[in-house]
Amino acid sequence: MSDLILEIDSVYAAYGRPRSLFTLGAGGAGRVEALRGVSLSVARGEIFGLLGPNGAGKSTLLACVEGLHQPEAGMVRVAGLPPAQAKGRLGVQLQKAALLDDLTVAELIEVYAALYNAFPSRAQIDDLLARFGLVEQRNRLARHLSGGQQQRVALAVALAADPEIVLLDEPTGALDPQARRVVWDLIRGLHDEGRTVLLTTHAMEEAEALCGRVAIIDQGRIMACGTPASIVAGLEVRPMLKALTELPLDQVRGLPGVHSVRYTGQHLEVETSEPQATLPALQALAARLGRTLGEISLRQPNLEDAFLRLTGRALTA
Amino acid sequence: MRRFLVLTKAILLVHLRERAQLFWNFAFPVFLLVIYAAVFGGDDLASFIAWMVPGIIATNILAFGLISSSTLITEMRTKGVLRRLQASPVPTAHLLGAYLLVNVLSCLLQLALIIVVATLFYGLRVPPANLALAAPWVVVAVLVAVVIGQAVSSVVGSAGAAVVIGQVLYFGQMFITDLIMPIQYMPAWVQRVGPWLPGYAIAQLVRPPLQEGVLSPELGTSLLLAAAYTLVAGLLAARFFKWEARA
Repeated sequence: MSDLILEIDSVYAAYGRPRSLFTLGAGGAGRVEALRGVSLSVARGEIFGLLGPNGAGKSTLLACVEGLHQPEAGMVRVAGLPPAQAKGRLGVQLQKAALLDDLTVAELIEVYAALYNAFPSRAQIDDLLARFGLVEQRNRLARHLSGGQQQRVALAVALAADPEIVLLDEPTGALDPQARRVVWDLIRGLHDEGRTVLLTTHAMEEAEALCGRVAIIDQGRIMACGTPASIVAGLEVRPMLKALTELPLDQVRGLPGVHSVRYTGQHLEVETSEPQATLPALQALAARLGRTLGEISLRQPNLEDAFLRLTGRALTA
Repeated sequence: MRRFLVLTKAILLVHLRERAQLFWNFAFPVFLLVIYAAVFGGDDLASFIAWMVPGIIATNILAFGLISSSTLITEMRTKGVLRRLQASPVPTAHLLGAYLLVNVLSCLLQLALIIVVATLFYGLRVPPANLALAAPWVVVAVLVAVVIGQAVSSVVGSAGAAVVIGQVLYFGQMFITDLIMPIQYMPAWVQRVGPWLPGYAIAQLVRPPLQEGVLSPELGTSLLLAAAYTLVAGLLAARFFKWEARA
């Protein structure tokens, strides 16, 4: 068990209604249960993803690990310590870039490192900036950076004090696809250096591209946990054959390997465990009935399907 | 200690680089000085300036606490910076200490600017002994104003509302607490109410030592009043403080 760096056991967390003088008396009326008995553990050196839609409880779980939110019940241990005592070991990137807009990129690195009692030399700061492609922005104020640059600065800031555990809340949230891939490479780099990364995302492809293990979280509960492939396999989510055609559903249902069939618009969707047997049978059926099969595609199941199967809802609604 | 210094430097830089803050903290008091000297200076400009400059300094301290300082914290809260700081291992006392130190330093810089401008352009003479005597009371005045501003920022939910309430409290006191209008020329009700407001206490802390090199005969009362406001405001600020912006 010694290689477990994060241990989360039966954590319950809730948010009360925000309180101000003007809402006194109404406190508690809007109480939200954000986490309902979450347990998971992360091994040293893993990239672990918390995957779920907005409001699932991902950020609250991260906040419990960061020591920013006190769980109602349950236990969180970071490298064996309560979160409040482990803050110095964490590199944190919040959902908002949370930069002081009127500091330059280099000044931001310096001040956020100092918060952790780390005082990098100029050369060390330059190395970090080079790694994140921020050399040209070194002396620019944060307010003058693009969204992608701010996101990279937030990542660089998270690493300023050389943390062993990096917590990233929606690290590619508002980025375009190209900037997203740059950040993915940077995160893989953290893994290559032996750091542990815990990240949240609502993007299935991000979880599949980056994470060794994933926990699917919805409405404050862990619905499944494991490698992306094992989650998909464990749920018996099957490949999906899709074709533009008009065939009677009851006849398609009888074809080999078929588990379920339906039409979405003019497209027939066939869930099958044996696509290599189903497709020729489907083509033969179409030929026999004098129908055509167009736009044939086969899609392997992924985490998106797993999420749909687990929750009955699409991940990106 | 080194961490504290880096943090203080960063907050000071943020403070000095924000244009709106620069205008209200440094340009506006000079503008006030020029306008008042032009409109009310009259024949006895020297004695008017000697009375008015400490008043503008005290007014600026009040504005700084109620508007600038609380706005800066509110913005840091809104942008998630406070939460990011909370996620770091820095003790809250260090953050608070660095923030208050920056507030005091900024107000001392503002004071220096006002005195330099008044000295160069209006012949003001403030003996160094007066400055030395006034310095600790200026610091006390800054802390009083900043704590009241933080109470507003913490208690009021939204950033916009905090600025409006801060401005109402500031402008409400600007003319009725002996800051830039002598209270003895005010209507009777102002003379009754004004001395109970924090602006009056700040004026009493700052003006007599700067202008005359003496402590106010009302110093004890002013300190008690300031302490009471600071205590209540401090309790409210601590009770309702949030690291994170309300949704």
